[in-house]
Amino acid sequence: MGMFSESVDVVCTASGQPLELQWAGRRYTVCAEPVRWYERRQWWVEESRAPLGSGPGLVDHEIWRVQVLAADNPRGSNGATQEPLTLDLTRHIGSDRWRLLRIHDALKPRTA
Amino acid sequence: MTFTHLHVSTAFSAHYGVSWPDELAQVAAADSATALACTDRDGLYGTIKHLKACTAARIDPIVGVDLAVFDDDGDHRTQLAGRVVVLARGNNQGAGYRALCRLVSDAHARTSGKAGGAVPVAVTRAELASRTLDPRTLKPVLTVLIGPDSDVGQALGGRRYLRPRTLFKRWLDVMPAGTVVAEIVSQLSAPGAPLSTAHAVRMLKLAEEHRVPAVLTNAVRYCAEDGAATADVLDSARTLKSLPELAAEPLLQPNGQGWLKSSGQMLQLGREIISAAGYGAADLKQLMAQTEALADLCRIDPVADMGWKQPVVPEASVIGISQDPQVELVQRCEAGIGRRFPGISGTAEKEMRQRLSHELGIIRNLGFSSYFLTVAEVSRMIIDMGVRAAARGSGASSLVNYLIDVSQVNPLQHDLIFERFLSRDRATLPDIDIDVESAERHNVYRKIFDRFGAERVTLMSMQNGYRARGAVRDAGMALGMDEGDVGEIAKQLWRFSARKFREALAEKPELREFAGRVEQRDFTENQQLDLLVDLTERLDRLPRHISMHPCGVILGDATLLDRTPVQPSGLGLPMSQFDKHDMDPMGMLKLDVLGVRMQSAMAFAVREVIRIHPSKAEVVAAGDHPAGPYGTGPDYIAENGHIDLNAVPLDDEPTYELIRSTHTLGCFQIESPGQRELVGKMAPRDFNDLIIDISLFRPGPMKSDMVRPFLEHRHGFAPEVYPHPDLKPVLQETHGVTVFHEQILKTFDVMTGCGLARADEFRRILGNEALEPQVEEYFRKEARAKGYAPDVVDKVWGTLKSFASFGFCKAHGAAFAVPTYQSAWLKAHHPEAFLAGLWEHDPGMYPKRLLVAEARRLGIPILPLDINRSQAEYRVERVADGQDRGKLGIRLSLNGIYGMSAAELKRIVAGQPYDSLADLRARSRLSKPSIKRLAQLGAFDSLHRESGGAANRADLVQHLQRLQATGSTRKGPEVMEGQLALPLGDVELRNVKPGLPAPTLVENVRAELDLMAIDVSGHLMDSHRPLLDRLGVTTADKLLGLRNGTEVLVAGVRIATQTPPMRGGRRVVFISIDDGTGCVDSVFFHEAQEQAGLLLFGTRLLLIRGTTRRTGPRGISLSANMAWDLSRIETLPFPQPGPENADVPHPLDGISRSLAITGMGG
Repeated sequence: MGMFSESVDVVCTASGQPLELQWAGRRYTVCAEPVRWYERRQWWVEESRAPLGSGPGLVDHEIWRVQVLAADNPRGSNGATQEPLTLDLTRHIGSDRWRLLRIHDALKPRTA
Repeated sequence: MTFTHLHVSTAFSAHYGVSWPDELAQVAAADSATALACTDRDGLYGTIKHLKACTAARIDPIVGVDLAVFDDDGDHRTQLAGRVVVLARGNNQGAGYRALCRLVSDAHARTSGKAGGAVPVAVTRAELASRTLDPRTLKPVLTVLIGPDSDVGQALGGRRYLRPRTLFKRWLDVMPAGTVVAEIVSQLSAPGAPLSTAHAVRMLKLAEEHRVPAVLTNAVRYCAEDGAATADVLDSARTLKSLPELAAEPLLQPNGQGWLKSSGQMLQLGREIISAAGYGAADLKQLMAQTEALADLCRIDPVADMGWKQPVVPEASVIGISQDPQVELVQRCEAGIGRRFPGISGTAEKEMRQRLSHELGIIRNLGFSSYFLTVAEVSRMIIDMGVRAAARGSGASSLVNYLIDVSQVNPLQHDLIFERFLSRDRATLPDIDIDVESAERHNVYRKIFDRFGAERVTLMSMQNGYRARGAVRDAGMALGMDEGDVGEIAKQLWRFSARKFREALAEKPELREFAGRVEQRDFTENQQLDLLVDLTERLDRLPRHISMHPCGVILGDATLLDRTPVQPSGLGLPMSQFDKHDMDPMGMLKLDVLGVRMQSAMAFAVREVIRIHPSKAEVVAAGDHPAGPYGTGPDYIAENGHIDLNAVPLDDEPTYELIRSTHTLGCFQIESPGQRELVGKMAPRDFNDLIIDISLFRPGPMKSDMVRPFLEHRHGFAPEVYPHPDLKPVLQETHGVTVFHEQILKTFDVMTGCGLARADEFRRILGNEALEPQVEEYFRKEARAKGYAPDVVDKVWGTLKSFASFGFCKAHGAAFAVPTYQSAWLKAHHPEAFLAGLWEHDPGMYPKRLLVAEARRLGIPILPLDINRSQAEYRVERVADGQDRGKLGIRLSLNGIYGMSAAELKRIVAGQPYDSLADLRARSRLSKPSIKRLAQLGAFDSLHRESGGAANRADLVQHLQRLQATGSTRKGPEVMEGQLALPLGDVELRNVKPGLPAPTLVENVRAELDLMAIDVSGHLMDSHRPLLDRLGVTTADKLLGLRNGTEVLVAGVRIATQTPPMRGGRRVVFISIDDGTGCVDSVFFHEAQEQAGLLLFGTRLLLIRGTTRRTGPRGISLSANMAWDLSRIETLPFPQPGPENADVPHPLDGISRSLAITGMGG
């Protein structure tokens, strides 16, 4: 499992569920129902201000665990059925920006 | 669809909840909720505020509590097994709320009421079960929510499949049918963690297996996401651990999702849980419907369930009456007329009777006669205890109160308006405050419990919220900052709210250094400081804990404990969880029984007068009292010499003479430098003047410059001005200046004809931004309609509007003026007994040593400490010999000597008299240091003289010092039981070797200051006398003879420093010094403050140069222009170069005790 904090572009459904993502120049589609939860941040270390009215996103961030398949080559380069990747994405609640947090599968994405 | 939140902690869940009840209710109502629960932890602390908030937001309140439950398997006194939420069912004539109150009281019954007690607030499962059914109908009246914090919920995370099932089964076995529901909560934490959807699913399935209804909640701690960080800080404050520590354990909330989510969000949450459980749409519908069904069961009708705004007073039988309370009240008033108005007739009687029937009519219509009888009963009970009591506050406006002996003020004489106290338009129980002797307050409380029964009485509590200092300390702890650093910062925070912290950083000079550190953001520590400011602001005002209110006692009928939960107070007596804001809404009768030291001092003085003069004739002679109707003295002095202070007529000329002399040290309310200046200027001639004086000397009138025009008009320097001739009768007593609430009422009434009751409603609205415009419109319209010119209406409205900020109720002033007058009366007629009382109970603002100076000024001898004559209290004593022979003096008390324990003191007094040191050691078992200290203070001087020894006090102290140093454990010759000590006199004292020079006056004074904080043998300025003469210093007693504007030097020891609020906001510093002949009050304006600099606050001995300001016929003060530190001789302005700086020993050398007071005072 690898730990990352890399910016990704995510396309969501109307209810805010990830549908597709653009990562390292490649497009992936979400292939299974994603799981979502909220995880605490060490905000007293990470932030320098916490004024009243800071709004959401100070104490926790949203995590999405998604299974994705590369969209451009659904059958993989060797023609075998592609194994889906399991990724943890975080959405910063305040800014709505997405980052890739973890890659769960032993297989690293093959670069083109 | 609407959703009802059933589990919500408000800010009144101390150190847990974040949001105020009204925020929560408003947010819920805005989301179209129709009801909202308040389930504070451990009590109903926020319940009444929640009711108010829900009423305002037009939603139904639901009330409950979040309680810990004792572990049935563990030690029942300390081990807990989770928490549950208990909701009261509504619309059952209060059966649910009653059970809830009793349950909460159960949870506190075993606690000690002291901080850090070992027993937690919790109920046993059996108690919980027994309270869920109404004892009368046996129907369920409470519902218990078994949720994520319960033992069941906590076991859901474990690997043991059966454990949660066993625990849940146990709940179902114990609880009556239909009283348990499962609480499903998902705060969307990581899968498998507490408060995750997975746990919610498990709980849901458990409920299904056992066919128990499930309800959805969000276990709310804050109104919106923003509150989550505050909740983190509160968790830290509650557990006394820093955020990094808590995060590591992990004990913090898993995330920040515990907010009051909208109906839509809750439905979505339900959908997620149902879908994760593999259930379908029908199950979702059921979950949501069951939640609403429980909400509907628990909707509270504030009136029918909780007795909203319905006053409850003790049953007539308890206050000892068998007939209609109104008839009883009328009879008691009739009886009072003979006592209070002997021989009244003609117009006076007619007016009095009219007023009485007016008051009785209003009281009857409101059904408050039992209330008056109850207060009268308490008042009588206190007086029967032999404790002084006096009504205070607007209760003095009532003739009924005067007639039934609750109040000592005749409202007719002072033109006090009943409507200010009670009117037909105001159906809430009025406040009657009773001042009692401070030393007897707790006894009075206990007696009230005895008299009315513990089921009808409880103490009121008060909420203590975060203020700047506490907030910064706890915020610092949360961030894991160094305690010392945070303490330093906290010390700088003074008199501003934590919410204004960042603002204050920019403005206050004392915070400049800290602000600078916050600015430099390069370092991590400064990032922390920035956070510290933000977190401090977050904590501002949040409740921390409740404590016993300083004076509130709640009286009710036998159902009182069905209406308020109680918990032990620090005093041991039960205390309500409701505070003063909850009294009116809950129809609770609250008496303020306030301990007042001056009442104790006066009671003490009266007892001393009898002790010294045990007959009426002696008291009359000693106090120079009038001969009275039969030539044997006035009626208010009893045959045994007891003075009935409350019966002393309020027109005693020597008393007013004393007040006008400004020698009012020790007198209630009029002893501060500012008040002495004011009484000097005003020269009160009668009791009404005293009332006005007390009402004027308040921050409002001082700030808004009412005092100067009042005095100018009073002394005829400027013509009185009235906005309209019609208002002359209203404003005449204060020469056209509006001072009293009563005048506002009459002004409204005169100009609009609205009647006094409505006028008081208007007065209450003044200053309320939302409602004031309506009053203004009404006033303008009606006043114009009555023909008042527009400019008159403008002017009068301006006065009324500005009045809102500072007005004072004349009845308050009148009630205050009574002890003021009584204390001045005692000082004028029995100064020795009065001073003894002041020393004993220390009611005033000044250090005790100043009263020594006052005694000296009055020529009252102060008798030294004496092991056989001094008692555990100050005593008046007739001087047996010496130059003061025959005079009354005051013997110093053995109490309050540094280092002497209460037990030692008790043993000394029990063993008196002693014939020798050995006798003293044997029977009082005093420690050696205590004996030495007594010797230093001269307590053995007379014993020493009697023994015939040739040595002096210094020799004796040295002798005792040696004994102490040798460490001999022997306390003296052993005395066998039954063996008589031989009357040999004191061999030890006789044989003390002489040789040392006798201690000088300076040394004696120093010992006195050090050990008793008073200088008795001589004034501590005496040793400076030669120096002062060289400087050409004027003494206090000579100042009055000087012309206005004379430049003088004065010197003395600082006794008071005050910075009262002033018009224009510029700081003015008042410094009072005492030079042994009296007090000098000096005022430092801006320029002089710049000149004096650091000396202003730091120096004890001051030389001040200034010009005299005559403040009235008998008052003079100093406008200072420069000050020096008297102990730095080289800096002093000698007229010509003097001899070498002789290093004069001074009593203050080496003494660090604080001998002055600082602060606002007045």
